[in-house]
Amino acid sequence: MSDVAISTRGLRKTYRTRRGRKVVAVQGLDLEVPAGGVHGFLGPNGSGKTTSIRMLLGLIRADAGTMTVFGRPVPAQLPEVVGRIGAIVESPKFFPAFTGQKNLELLAEAIGAPRARVGEVLEQTSLGERGKDRFRSYSLGMKQRLAIAATLLKEPDLLIFDEPTNGLDPAGIREIRETMRGLGEQGKTVLVSSHILAEVEQVADTVSIIGHGRLLASGTVAEVIGGGTAPTVKVAVNNHEAATRVLTAAGMTVRADGNYLLVEGAPDPADVTRRLAHQELYVSELTPVRADLESVFLELTEGEGL
Amino acid sequence: MIRLTKVELRRLVSRRLTAVGLVGLFLITILLLVATYFDARPLSAVEQQQAQQQYEMAHKDWVDHAEEMRTQCEADWKTQPDPKPKLEEMCVYSEPKPEDFGKPPTVFAQIMPDLLQGSSYFLAFAAFLIGASFLGAEFSSGAIGNWLTFEPRRLRVYGSKLLAAATGFVPIAAVVLAVILFGTFLIVDKLGDTASTTGKVWSDLSAIGGRAVVTSALAAALGSVVGLLLRHTAAAIGVVMAYLVLAEGVFAAFLEKAQPWLIKLNFDAFVRHDAQYYVTECKTGSDGSYACDYVQKTLSFEHGAWYLAIFTVVVVLLGGWVFHRRDVN
Repeated sequence: MSDVAISTRGLRKTYRTRRGRKVVAVQGLDLEVPAGGVHGFLGPNGSGKTTSIRMLLGLIRADAGTMTVFGRPVPAQLPEVVGRIGAIVESPKFFPAFTGQKNLELLAEAIGAPRARVGEVLEQTSLGERGKDRFRSYSLGMKQRLAIAATLLKEPDLLIFDEPTNGLDPAGIREIRETMRGLGEQGKTVLVSSHILAEVEQVADTVSIIGHGRLLASGTVAEVIGGGTAPTVKVAVNNHEAATRVLTAAGMTVRADGNYLLVEGAPDPADVTRRLAHQELYVSELTPVRADLESVFLELTEGEGL
Repeated sequence: MIRLTKVELRRLVSRRLTAVGLVGLFLITILLLVATYFDARPLSAVEQQQAQQQYEMAHKDWVDHAEEMRTQCEADWKTQPDPKPKLEEMCVYSEPKPEDFGKPPTVFAQIMPDLLQGSSYFLAFAAFLIGASFLGAEFSSGAIGNWLTFEPRRLRVYGSKLLAAATGFVPIAAVVLAVILFGTFLIVDKLGDTASTTGKVWSDLSAIGGRAVVTSALAAALGSVVGLLLRHTAAAIGVVMAYLVLAEGVFAAFLEKAQPWLIKLNFDAFVRHDAQYYVTECKTGSDGSYACDYVQKTLSFEHGAWYLAIFTVVVVLLGGWVFHRRDVN
């Protein structure tokens, strides 16, 4: 198997609005998704994530650039690899008047999957009891689960989830997250697009961030969020003055933040507790301060004119 | 392709609109047979008596006045300016016959071609509607995008959908037409005249029915293409209605000579093996007079067949080209 599941080079797509105005949705996107594990595809709304995914799946035509999936150029050779790709693009779309089971049976028949597989994937996604209900009667979470069931019909090596938790309640979000993590741990490649970094951060091994159709950053989650530097931690300790002195002496930067101290430059959060404990200063609370998409994104796009 | 077509056929028969369409066709078929029954029913004793009285009165009037009226007519004819009409055409006073009064018996061989032609219209409309909905709903629900992530070869997808819509309607149309044909035969055999139903009549009727099945299949395929192009069933029906009103109604009325290039007449020419239409031809006579005649013309079966074939191929190719290039959002 190729080490790279998805690769795009110079991918470009422009649309014309109804008034004839040209809108560049994707401009020269170079994306690389490693095979195996979960890859977060991040960017704010309108940054070109869905358009890129649609181009990969052959749903829309690229104006320029090249794409490969498992080393095969797409869309030219998409039929050869489509059996290895399961995808949910935006909200799940099925025939509303048919039951969930009927929808899956049609898809299974189309790809030559055995009919028994339909029951299996319905059970796998906890839809066994609702399989005979019409798709239009499903909640958003159930629709999402049915879409996942549909992707599993193919037993794919690559799963593409576009904003999979949109509109879901916390339980649904957690369920989807666990499903994605589980698939990644099975060695499958999961590409999950989202505009919520915190959501992706919990499941992704690697991420790519795009803005205005261009790749802004790519790498492991820690690399992208921290930019390769040690994280900031928020510390609650009784004696601020003494703690500041100890940590500054260790080369860290310390700022007061209300009842807390914000400590930057600690190679490891454990280093902070150890140094303070040596001086009999005991930490009552220590929280890594995580960057959110907004801050990372704003930082990444500084000077981009976005 | 065969597998995809089978899947599409399963989807077609599972759709609610298909079921509703079949129920509608069943009801229309029943209504048609009921109407045929009432039309073929002989007159009641009272009605027959009234008809006999009418005949006797007319005959008496003819016996009393026919000679006198003919003499008068001949005198009038002599005063007509040249060119005179023919005397035997102007002064015809035929003797009334009993069969001219009351209801003539229904003859199977005479009514059946019209019935089959009428049936071909509602079958074609139902096929178009079901075909348009078959693809229109797929686009309006967005399910086509999901489908393409399972089978990205668009021309195969397109071909399978059209093939399913067309072939799916063949047995439906065949059954409906067979029920109408044999149902009418049984009714007329009991109430009217089927004695003239020779082997050739059956052969001609079967040919009309067969061609009506073909037009239904074409209508289903064309409906599918229009549903694909417009993405909504309602829009597809709107286009058909607009065409019927504007092109077949207004345009054909103003530009009679364009009729051979409109769909309905070619449809008729194909189903009925030649179709008649009328155009107004006006000319100035040698004496400077200007007169217009309503002239009957015939559109040949071959013209209708070629027209429908070329029209279908062009529309199907257009749909395939659009679907191949279209971004599915």
